[in-house]
Amino acid sequence: MKITILEQNGNSLRFVLSGVSAPFANAIRRIIMAEVPTMAIDDVMMFENTSAMFDEMITHRLGLVPLTTDLDTYLLPEECDCESEFGCNNCRVSFTLDVKAEAELKMVYSGDLIPENADVSPAVKKIPIVRLANNQRLKLEAYARLGKGLEHAKWQPVSASTYKFMPIVEIDTKKCDGCGDCVKYCPKNVFSIEKLKPVVQNEINCTLCMECIRHCPIEPSPIKISHDKKTFIFYIESTGSMPASKLVKEAVKILERKTQSVIEQYKKVK
Amino acid sequence: MIPVRCFTCGKVIGDKWEAFKKRVSEGEETKKVLDDLSIERYCCRRIFISHVEVMEELLKYVKNSKNTKNMIT
Repeated sequence: MKITILEQNGNSLRFVLSGVSAPFANAIRRIIMAEVPTMAIDDVMMFENTSAMFDEMITHRLGLVPLTTDLDTYLLPEECDCESEFGCNNCRVSFTLDVKAEAELKMVYSGDLIPENADVSPAVKKIPIVRLANNQRLKLEAYARLGKGLEHAKWQPVSASTYKFMPIVEIDTKKCDGCGDCVKYCPKNVFSIEKLKPVVQNEINCTLCMECIRHCPIEPSPIKISHDKKTFIFYIESTGSMPASKLVKEAVKILERKTQSVIEQYKKVK
Repeated sequence: MIPVRCFTCGKVIGDKWEAFKKRVSEGEETKKVLDDLSIERYCCRRIFISHVEVMEELLKYVKNSKNTKNMIT
């Protein structure tokens, strides 16, 4: 098994995972989406809302704001031993928000949420929540907790978690007449022309769409497209709660814990 | 109000709306602005292209007086 990072900028990560089976790659992909815990606002106490929007709508918008997550200090409510309906300091973070528009229109932003613990704060500060007209006020207290994407999409730490097989594109130069149709029709610019013959330039960009073969005038086509069943190109785009690289590490930890519990159960049966 | 996240993929798009609106109203090409703001997928792009800010319309009817509070609650 080998990992090569292709690209890492901001919240997105592209890497190649080689030497694994498709079910294993898919397990990692699905765990990232559904089982890595993230912080999100879950309960809101509304003190004053004179805005044009209903309490429920504001609450829903607040829930979708991604919060920076610290998995070492906080526990999932179901794993916390406080067993309280409202949570304790180990499984809940509170936020306050108090914005009043005096004379002019005012926008309430996600950055107006003041966290009790600065480690857990809105990852994106400029999300508009609601617009207030003069004399309107929004005052509330919000409680965030850890949760999983399985329960609600607001706890999903990624907006994209995908993989594709590593494409293999080959051209038989002896049979090719160099018409250049494959260069013209390829939507991902996989080919380029060198010395009047097409050559494979960006093999990794190929999506296996077969458009080059469809437009090739020679029958059978000298272009051969296949994929490596043991190599995957992953693309992970975090919402900002955690860096994408950390998400992969957490997902692997969860997978390890799950397989470990299977082994333990098996031993009991034996 | 612009949705906080894309309905389909869940990407956070709310924070990019104000920049988008400003640049498009200044006459920049929509395609270029969306590419600049790194909104790649068409699920996110359609939200920007088709969004109508109804909140702005609603707030026109809030009276400019101290009775505002009673009027709208």
